[in-house]
Amino acid sequence: MAEVKKNEEPRIGVFVCHCGTNIAGSIDVKAVMEYARTLPNVIVADDYQYMCSTPGQNKIAEAIAEQKLTGVVVAACSPRLHEPTFRNATKAGGLNPFRFEMANIREQNSWVHMHQPEEATAKAKDAVRIAVAKASLLEDLVPKSVPVEKAAMVVGGGVGGMQAALDLANAGIKTYLVEKSPTIGGRMSQLDKTFPTLDCSQCILTPKMVDVYRNEGIELLTYTEVEAVEGYIGNFDVTLRKKARGVITPAEAEARGIVGGGCTGCGDCVDVCPVIKPNPFELGMAPRKAVYIYHPQVSPLIYTVDFDACVKCGLCVEACGEKKAIDLEMKDELMTVKVGTVVLATGYDIFPIEKKFEWGYKNYDNVITSLEFERLICASGPTGGHLIRPSDGATPKRVAFVLCAGSRDNTGVGKPYCSRFCCMYSLKHAHQIIEKIPGVVPYIFYMDIRSFGKMYEEFYYRIQDEGAKFIRGRVANILEDPVTKNLHVNAEDTLLGRPIDMEVDLVVLAAAIEPSAETEKTRRLFGVSCSQDGWLLEAHPKLNPCGTTTAGVYLAGVCQGPKDIPDTVAQAEGAASAASIPIHRGEVELEPYFAQCMEEKCAGCGLCVNQCPYGALALVEKDGRTVMQVTEAKCKGCGTCGGFCPGGAIWMQHFATPQIVAQIDAFLLGGEQ
Amino acid sequence: MSKNKHQYAFFLGCIAPNRYPGIEAAAIRTSKNVGIDLLPLKGASCCPAPGAFGSIDLNVWYAMAARNVVLAEQMGMDIALVCNGCYKSIWEVNHKLKHNDELRDGVNEVLKEIDMEFKGSVDVWHLAELYYDPEIVGVKKIADSIKRPLTGARIAVHYGCHLMKPGKERHFGDTENPMWIEELVAALGAEPVQYRNKMQCCGAGGGVRGYDLAHALDITNEKMINMRDVGVDAVTEVCPFCQLQFDRGQIEIKEKFGAEYGIPVLHYNELLGLAQGMSPDELALDLHAIDVEPFLKKIL
Amino acid sequence: MADENWKPKIIAIICNWCSYAGADLAGGARIQYPPDIRAIRVMCTGRIDPLFILKAFQDGADGVLVSGCHFGDCHYLEGNFKAAKRMFLLKSVLKNIGLDDKRLRMTFVSASEGAKWGSVMTDVIKTINELGPSPLKEFAR
Repeated sequence: MAEVKKNEEPRIGVFVCHCGTNIAGSIDVKAVMEYARTLPNVIVADDYQYMCSTPGQNKIAEAIAEQKLTGVVVAACSPRLHEPTFRNATKAGGLNPFRFEMANIREQNSWVHMHQPEEATAKAKDAVRIAVAKASLLEDLVPKSVPVEKAAMVVGGGVGGMQAALDLANAGIKTYLVEKSPTIGGRMSQLDKTFPTLDCSQCILTPKMVDVYRNEGIELLTYTEVEAVEGYIGNFDVTLRKKARGVITPAEAEARGIVGGGCTGCGDCVDVCPVIKPNPFELGMAPRKAVYIYHPQVSPLIYTVDFDACVKCGLCVEACGEKKAIDLEMKDELMTVKVGTVVLATGYDIFPIEKKFEWGYKNYDNVITSLEFERLICASGPTGGHLIRPSDGATPKRVAFVLCAGSRDNTGVGKPYCSRFCCMYSLKHAHQIIEKIPGVVPYIFYMDIRSFGKMYEEFYYRIQDEGAKFIRGRVANILEDPVTKNLHVNAEDTLLGRPIDMEVDLVVLAAAIEPSAETEKTRRLFGVSCSQDGWLLEAHPKLNPCGTTTAGVYLAGVCQGPKDIPDTVAQAEGAASAASIPIHRGEVELEPYFAQCMEEKCAGCGLCVNQCPYGALALVEKDGRTVMQVTEAKCKGCGTCGGFCPGGAIWMQHFATPQIVAQIDAFLLGGEQ
Repeated sequence: MSKNKHQYAFFLGCIAPNRYPGIEAAAIRTSKNVGIDLLPLKGASCCPAPGAFGSIDLNVWYAMAARNVVLAEQMGMDIALVCNGCYKSIWEVNHKLKHNDELRDGVNEVLKEIDMEFKGSVDVWHLAELYYDPEIVGVKKIADSIKRPLTGARIAVHYGCHLMKPGKERHFGDTENPMWIEELVAALGAEPVQYRNKMQCCGAGGGVRGYDLAHALDITNEKMINMRDVGVDAVTEVCPFCQLQFDRGQIEIKEKFGAEYGIPVLHYNELLGLAQGMSPDELALDLHAIDVEPFLKKIL
Repeated sequence: MADENWKPKIIAIICNWCSYAGADLAGGARIQYPPDIRAIRVMCTGRIDPLFILKAFQDGADGVLVSGCHFGDCHYLEGNFKAAKRMFLLKSVLKNIGLDDKRLRMTFVSASEGAKWGSVMTDVIKTINELGPSPLKEFAR
């Protein structure tokens, strides 16, 4: 084992927090404090109602100055919450902030042993003893400052990503907006109207799309995916794959020396293209060619060649003529950009609701999803805004809306969570058909109507007054009449307490949402955690909803969890603000948990070099010996090398072997045996 | 599972040999034509019926079903059968005993008295699923075995509850709107017809017929209405008990509701037999309560 | 060792990013579990030198829990893989020195799995209670 580096006499101060009754409710704080006084090296011990308050912090600073403390222990909540607070207090007392150690007696003690006060108190004493043992061996550390690249990246070009990119760019930061599909706009551009204001979705979104396109601070990278990520806050090197689009922009044409060339969005290529494919933007309900745009308002207005479908007949190249915008030999390109911070806004997909066999989606023609409904009711959609039954093109007069379709579903097939906007858009759908189809009756099958937002409950009442029928009951199954293709919706009306069998012309499933297909890959590239259902994990659910545990990576919109447009935009603005802070400060401090080589012990075997996932370690010649050397800028402080070195020659700052062993010994050998 | 994928111990059940012997004959002969040998499972008892036995004493149900499985284990062969009720009993007990050591020990305690032990060495299959499995028979091989396509026949398919449900424990995927038996019917040259509430019970299973005949017929009647509405020449199923309910049930329905449907009811193996060229006599179709003649006229 | 007052001494060495956060989440959700485990925080399970664990057993620990991120979720890419390999090897060492390898457990609890942390705690304590005091205890100190 490594030896202790310093040999000063440790003088430790221990401060035990009551946290109101959060801790004191199940732990005898005074007893813990008295116990701390009996521990070796403890010079002073005290307790206080709220250690994180200003008077609490002052106690620490004063004790450091008065007692010439060499280390501070606070027994309170989790270091993940208040370690920074108490480090500052330690610093205020004139001590190096890394001379501070925290004993978690709240999250991992008083809150989880609420009915066992004796055992909880004993555990708290152990925790303090363990912390004192470590604090006695802590050393001065200096955080490393690194400059922050004055550029940001936003991944995902839906409304959240667009808002984040606009805010960052408008704050003077060069912003790369990366979008996997050929246009920005995301899910919102597929919607017809928005609740509860009934604004036309495209009408309010298109100006924003244009703003993004025109903004000089934004480099818009559509049809592009994140391929690899290296580095850390301030210095992310992101490798992007610009997928072969087959079409060049005017700027790219100029770079190739084609004067006045490049795609103008005229669409001449589409007219001659012989290949027809379903348009994913219209959910396959309308055709597109192998050279295509999703819809007329795309941004950028540049066509894309679908190389999976293209037969390379060259007719489009001919039709394009002198503009020479089409290049059928184009290949994917990789590019690397350096950014200081990143905002993830990867959005959502619709849960494959055909997995809920009982509702017959994809088996029955006249069972559609809400997103398909949006396209069918949209004036620019495949039917010009006429809602029709897919089976026969007739106008439906009885429409059932099945809410919580796959949401709030504990059968193991669907999703346990609430998808959060289905109630409201289904109310809006009911309104839209009442408005468009005389004599139509919407039947809304619901579990609870969750109209939680501003003006939402009022909207709910309005739809009730407009004549929508509300049936409180989950739909058990849907059966198709094979002759009429009408559907029988079987449910229990839980308010009347009787089963119902309702014949309708069309069923709209308000399908659950799930993280978009790329979310998992993207989050792993950026080292962001996710919750059990795949939504990206925020740094703190209440106090840091935009941040992640990876410094410099922030979250915007539905990728963090289901939310509607206003909440998405609000979070995007929050994420943009958070992402701009390190950039505007110009430098960030990295926690100095670097590995260091104790050269006198290092045998130069090099086994550690391959352990490091960041390539931070290397063997060098020094004074005629081969020893390992750490590149601090690359080291992230995981300690994997330190856990492996057969000679114990690696000193992991702040998690050094003697410090950890002291903790183990303090627990097992110290205290009342 | 047995080493030979084309040899099975054939579990007859009760209703097929007693009421519709044509099913037994058809199963053995049609299977041979598609490369499956069905060997008699000698000494087999009642499966025993899942509704009747299972609702009174589960342990008896486990033990009797396990005994039938052990007979197959002694032959070193998987079991094949033609009845959903038998499938529910034998497949499910075999499955449960394989996955629940405690249950298995309890059953073996009982079997010890007759010097038997459940080992869990074989699997249980419905003949229909073997027909559908492309690695065993497959739809194409069925189609290739046909000598007399049932062209023009509109046929409703009834799956039956005990085959498909509970869906989570079975291995058939979509149990709400399955289509695989339709594929097998289409392979005979017939036209499978969709009707409302296809997955509804026949009315008989689970002890319903034994407990409350009027209620059972009510369900059957609804089924018959749904089939009649789409116009079918026959209904096919893979369960003699469902067949009994549809076939004899139509007579009872006529007495109770006065409604007459006259829809012939044929087990899939009987249909397959016809298509492979077996004569109505060989299939003992005259034992059916509802006259099969109009259907035969249409296809022969 | 027929000490009726014996209470297991179990040490958990857990990573900052997943399991420690999961344990905090269990606290926030007030998930109750038995109090016999003391946790030491490291940044990554990759930091855990097998000698730490041997030291703990030498000191008389009845059980050791190592808990990190799920595979693929490691904050440092692959520290948990390396830890898992080491723990696997260490278990065979434990067996060879006559210690039941169930006394060492590695689990994977993410930052969102508060409830899982509670059940891991309960389960580890149950296992160690069933195994009884460590035979190395009398050599400690």
